[in-house]
Amino acid sequence: MLELRDVDAAYGDIRVLSGVTLAVGAGEIVALLGPNGSGKSTLLTSIAGLLHPRGGTIRWDGEDLTRVPAHLVVERGLALVPEGRRLFGGMTVEDNLELGAFAPRARRHRAEGFARVYALFPDLRERRRQLVASLSGGQQQMVAVGRALMTNPRLLMLDEPSLGIAPRLVVSIFAALAEINRAGVGVFLVEQNVQAALTLAHRAYVLESGRIAGQGSAADLLHDPHVRRAYLGPLAVRHS
Amino acid sequence: MTAARRERAWAIGILAGLGGLAFLPLVARRDDVLNFVFLILLSITLAQSWNIVAGYAGQVNLGHAAFFGLGALLARSLWIGGTPIVLAMLAGAALATSFALVIGAPAFRLRGAYFAIGTLALGEILRTTVGNVLPEISTLPTATIAGYRLAHRYYVALALAAVSVVTVAALAGSRAGLGMQAIREDEPAAEASGVGALRLKLTALALSTGLAGLAGGLFGYYHISYYPSHAFSPTWTFDALLMTFIGGVGTLHGPVLGAILYIVLKEYLAVRWVDFHLLIFGALFIAIVLLLPGGLVQAAARGRRLFARREV
Amino acid sequence: MSVLAQQLVLGLLIGGLYGLAAAGLSLVFGVMKVLDVAHGELIMLGGYGAFWVVALLGIDPFAALGVVIPLALLGGGLLYSGLFSFVVRADEETRVKNSLLIGFGLALALHALAVQLWTADERSIVTPYGGAVIMVGDLAIPLVRLLSLLLAFLLLGGLHLLLARWRWGKAIRATAEDWQAALLTGIDVRRAYLLAFAIGTALAGAAGTLVSVGYSVSPSIGLEWTLKALIVVVLAGLGSMIGTFVGGLVLGVAEAASAAVFGGPYREVVGLVIFVVVLVVRPRGLFGK
Repeated sequence: MLELRDVDAAYGDIRVLSGVTLAVGAGEIVALLGPNGSGKSTLLTSIAGLLHPRGGTIRWDGEDLTRVPAHLVVERGLALVPEGRRLFGGMTVEDNLELGAFAPRARRHRAEGFARVYALFPDLRERRRQLVASLSGGQQQMVAVGRALMTNPRLLMLDEPSLGIAPRLVVSIFAALAEINRAGVGVFLVEQNVQAALTLAHRAYVLESGRIAGQGSAADLLHDPHVRRAYLGPLAVRHS
Repeated sequence: MTAARRERAWAIGILAGLGGLAFLPLVARRDDVLNFVFLILLSITLAQSWNIVAGYAGQVNLGHAAFFGLGALLARSLWIGGTPIVLAMLAGAALATSFALVIGAPAFRLRGAYFAIGTLALGEILRTTVGNVLPEISTLPTATIAGYRLAHRYYVALALAAVSVVTVAALAGSRAGLGMQAIREDEPAAEASGVGALRLKLTALALSTGLAGLAGGLFGYYHISYYPSHAFSPTWTFDALLMTFIGGVGTLHGPVLGAILYIVLKEYLAVRWVDFHLLIFGALFIAIVLLLPGGLVQAAARGRRLFARREV
Repeated sequence: MSVLAQQLVLGLLIGGLYGLAAAGLSLVFGVMKVLDVAHGELIMLGGYGAFWVVALLGIDPFAALGVVIPLALLGGGLLYSGLFSFVVRADEETRVKNSLLIGFGLALALHALAVQLWTADERSIVTPYGGAVIMVGDLAIPLVRLLSLLLAFLLLGGLHLLLARWRWGKAIRATAEDWQAALLTGIDVRRAYLLAFAIGTALAGAAGTLVSVGYSVSPSIGLEWTLKALIVVVLAGLGSMIGTFVGGLVLGVAEAASAAVFGGPYREVVGLVIFVVVLVVRPRGLFGK
């Protein structure tokens, strides 16, 4: 159970998040929507421990996560698939996945981790000795999700997983996310493709200019006029 | 008092001090006092010259000794050949500056650390080449040795130290100086607001190497015999670096304080341990880079603030 | 003709040591963007360390590697924890600049310390087989230097394997590519930095040992070896231990060739000129990614 209360974040003098309060329950899929530059990435980065919030608290299962260093956040069971995937391009698929199981929490379950990832993404098993830099965008995204899965998380966070990926592959990645969730892993998803996000998620928040501007069940938001106009209408051309 | 006013006060104070030192040859009985102060004056010039590029244009030049050496080489040759020393020194400085401007544009394409190690390599290339082409010791002709007056060297050193302080003071207050500081703080932003970065960096380099060349000429004037490649030794660069950083890079009086401290410590410690002053300065340098990048000048400012707070 | 070939062979032999010397610097710079210009001084200390290990324990200098390398590993760890760990707190550009400056102060301090402890004289480790030479046709190959070349190759090969197969080796490579992504995978990046620095120092210690057997050490060799290492790193680029080894060989042979053509005193200059040219023209080096 992830709880953010009144979180403020900034880069130097530039305030990015103000008073963000939200929660992701165990086993839920929650989406975070909002325009470019609203601070969605910053929010995920703060939870993951790469950026320390200026104010507010982040709690995970009741424990304070606010100032925990990033590699220890992974040890607590939260994994982030960062924007742009950030894979280790000079290393193989297998090595990237194996590194996902680096933390003690994950190392014990490494074999199962591999089995799970290859079951979800059979393409990767074939290409496991291939250098990641030589894969397509969609395949790289699978490796990124797989690597995060190898950390044996209870909450999986993703920053724009559909960015730059062919629509067909977006569908399969989202299907994989649904399956991951069915196995009991929570999903917290930042996504520009609002349609796909709201179809997958149970609940969603809307972040605008660093503040929570709306929240509700995915179904409600899908029909909300403001959301429709801003993110789903003809003006909001992103994905089909 | 604002920082600028404080710097101006320092400039006046230092020049006054230098003026006072003009009387030293009249009262000093022994030559080693003059030699000691000479060394300090030379070091002040050397440190200030390095300070111009590091403190005002923000680049670490590790090849500084090359310009010192070029100045020494040409000035000494011309002077031995009969040219008046001041002209010879100016020629040396011109050589140094020309060389700097030739390598400057390509060198400044290198960023930060690469500029530093690139200039280090260039300095070593020059030193090795000069050492191979001119391996023999250069000694003054007997007639010149007979006419050697330490006091003359002393006054040239005094004048040069004053020139270096005035140059830095003038630069700090000028538009060029302010432009350079803008580059040092944030080069892309400065460029965007119309500050011609390359031109300013080259100006700083020209001033810096010109002064270094003059200092080299002075060195050539001072020594009765020396190995030409010695003036190209990286120790001159490192000395300048240490003195400037420890005193306070980018300030007017930092290099002066650093130079005085360095030479005093060196002479004091050299009695018992030859290079021990370098051990201390090396450690001090590390401490300053990590903890107190503004050097002693910054330490003094902090001390002042601390003191002021307690008074209130 | 055979004089030239002899010179080239000698250049090749020392080139292996150049590669070994560069490997430590390359590893540290590649992983944490710290440019330790005191690396040459670490090599110098390694050489003195080997000298004293041999003098005190009476063992063969190549065997002394078994003592010097662990000591250097430990020393490197301490040096990182005590000094360079503070440098890595800043962003990349500041890191490089600060590490350059700190390395400079450290080099000065270590050099002065060495002069105090051991005087400025040159020292060399003498072995019973020190003068032995293997003849291949007209070429005389000094046995000690050949063994050093082989050891340098083995050490770098071993390092390559370590980085490819060992869990922490992979973690170090991952950290070198993208430290933030490494953190997100659960890698303690600070620990990776510590390991990389310790290994880098161990490589320097090994290089120093081999230098003191086949050549000589004195407190002043620090700057010279730092420059050699820098030249090879810039020539070979980052990221490949094999590439670094080859880069070292290239430098050694280039030096020998230029000494043969222009005369002995210009041996040093060619490396520096190559360095400056590659820096300006192609900062990624010949092999770098």
